[in-house]
Amino acid sequence: MGVDTIVQTFTNALVLGSIYAMVAVGLAIAFGVMQMANFAHGELFMAGSYVVFTLYTLVGIPFLIAVILAFPIVAAIGMVFERLIFRPTRGNVLAGFMATAGAGFILQVLVGQQWGVGLMRSIQTPYPGSTEILGAAISYQRLLIFPATVVMVSGLWYFLTRVKHGKALRACAQDPEAAVLQGISLNKMTSLAMLLSGGFAGVGGALMAPIIPVTPYMGHTFAVTAFIIVIVGGMASIEGAVIAAFILGFIHTIVTTMYDSVTATMVGVFFMALVLIVKPTGLMGRVKV
Amino acid sequence: MSFFLVENLTKKFGGLIANNNISMEVEKGEIRGVIGPNGAGKTTFFNLVSGFYRPTSGKVSFKGNTISGLSTNKIARLGAVRTFQRAALFTDFTVLENVSIAQHMNTNSSLLNAIFGHDNHREAESLERAEEIIEFLGMQQERDTMADNLSHGLQRQLGVAMALATEPELLMLDEPVAGMNSGEKAVMVGMIQKIRDKWGVTVLLVEHDMRTVMNLCEKITVLDFGQKLAEGSPEEIRSNPKVIEAYLGADDSVT
Repeated sequence: MGVDTIVQTFTNALVLGSIYAMVAVGLAIAFGVMQMANFAHGELFMAGSYVVFTLYTLVGIPFLIAVILAFPIVAAIGMVFERLIFRPTRGNVLAGFMATAGAGFILQVLVGQQWGVGLMRSIQTPYPGSTEILGAAISYQRLLIFPATVVMVSGLWYFLTRVKHGKALRACAQDPEAAVLQGISLNKMTSLAMLLSGGFAGVGGALMAPIIPVTPYMGHTFAVTAFIIVIVGGMASIEGAVIAAFILGFIHTIVTTMYDSVTATMVGVFFMALVLIVKPTGLMGRVKV
Repeated sequence: MSFFLVENLTKKFGGLIANNNISMEVEKGEIRGVIGPNGAGKTTFFNLVSGFYRPTSGKVSFKGNTISGLSTNKIARLGAVRTFQRAALFTDFTVLENVSIAQHMNTNSSLLNAIFGHDNHREAESLERAEEIIEFLGMQQERDTMADNLSHGLQRQLGVAMALATEPELLMLDEPVAGMNSGEKAVMVGMIQKIRDKWGVTVLLVEHDMRTVMNLCEKITVLDFGQKLAEGSPEEIRSNPKVIEAYLGADDSVT
């Protein structure tokens, strides 16, 4: 294996890990605050891609602005989910599972009816060309993803650890009953959690839109991987999700380069099983008393 | 207008009447204890008056506002806050962070405000308040300790400190000395007295530990089989034959 292959694989892994992080972090926040898994999370990712398709490809708004707009638009969808699904089913895990899975299908069908199911929408890359690092060709489009993730995840970290409402969000994740006693409104916080969750998934989908085929069903694989990441990282742990995202990103990329993507998925799941055997709470998870 | 008024409170769980027609009144500045043998309905009563359960009939009012049926954070905003028997705190936060998380009760900030409005002045204010409470309760040594690493007694103290951070007028304590050793109990009793004496906070507590209640409370309400059995000063309660009967049983042969 030459230096160029190693650099290529490393960069690809970094890019894939970034996208995984963006999608998984949102899932972890939602799970942390609401104790419920959002099975429509992949569809929020898909919605982000379609925001770019609509605004950039069809309307002609600059790509970066379309990506930025994906945050509020998909965040709004997340908040609608919160209001219509998570709030009425709070504490009922089974109902939440069915309702979110159903919402995912609804979103798929709506998008399919509007923009078509059969054809894959390929979105022209706004940044053609690539740069060469030690013999490896890395497209500008991919190169953009890593810094974007760093900025967004750092922003989230700042919000959660330094800003009062971010702390309140973490407080809700640790002990909702105690948080309510401190005058924190649980409804407001679950709404905020789904805003962030949707926004991150949306931007992730938006950034990936020019790289992968855009279809109504594209979110599925990302959602499955995001669930594996959140489990490996420790449910509800943001740090854990970020670390696990990059580990999975590297596993998938390296194994795909050496063998193929099916083997890569298998190795990824095997890795999850291994982590759960050694540390059942996940990498950064803690046992709740 | 009474400060805290419970009127004909009844709670049924299916066919079981857990609380039956209980009335009581707590005056401002009082330390009131609610006691009763196991299964007397203390916990149900506590959950009713703190808004956790909705009563089957009857009502609870605080400063003229009916609070039965309101959500907990709304009741907290009105100035009546409860603690839990378990340590209800944020284990990943330091003591200071735990106490400063309380939201300002009078603000109704919107969601957008929550994200973009970084109100430094208000944050500084709540931090100042938190420092004051920690000092007042003598917990400066633990200020930067993770809540997870505190002893049981200190975690319960932290629970009281967090309740105080919401600036309550009425503090409702659910078995504040449960599971504590005698040293920890003494500290907690001192703390509750100080909270009332120095800050004028009215205290309503449900407690198992007879000695603590007798030492701490000016007035005691006794529940038995879901009904109010007696009410009075510790001396009156101690010598009330009905109370002795409820606790020890009527049959003389027991002793």
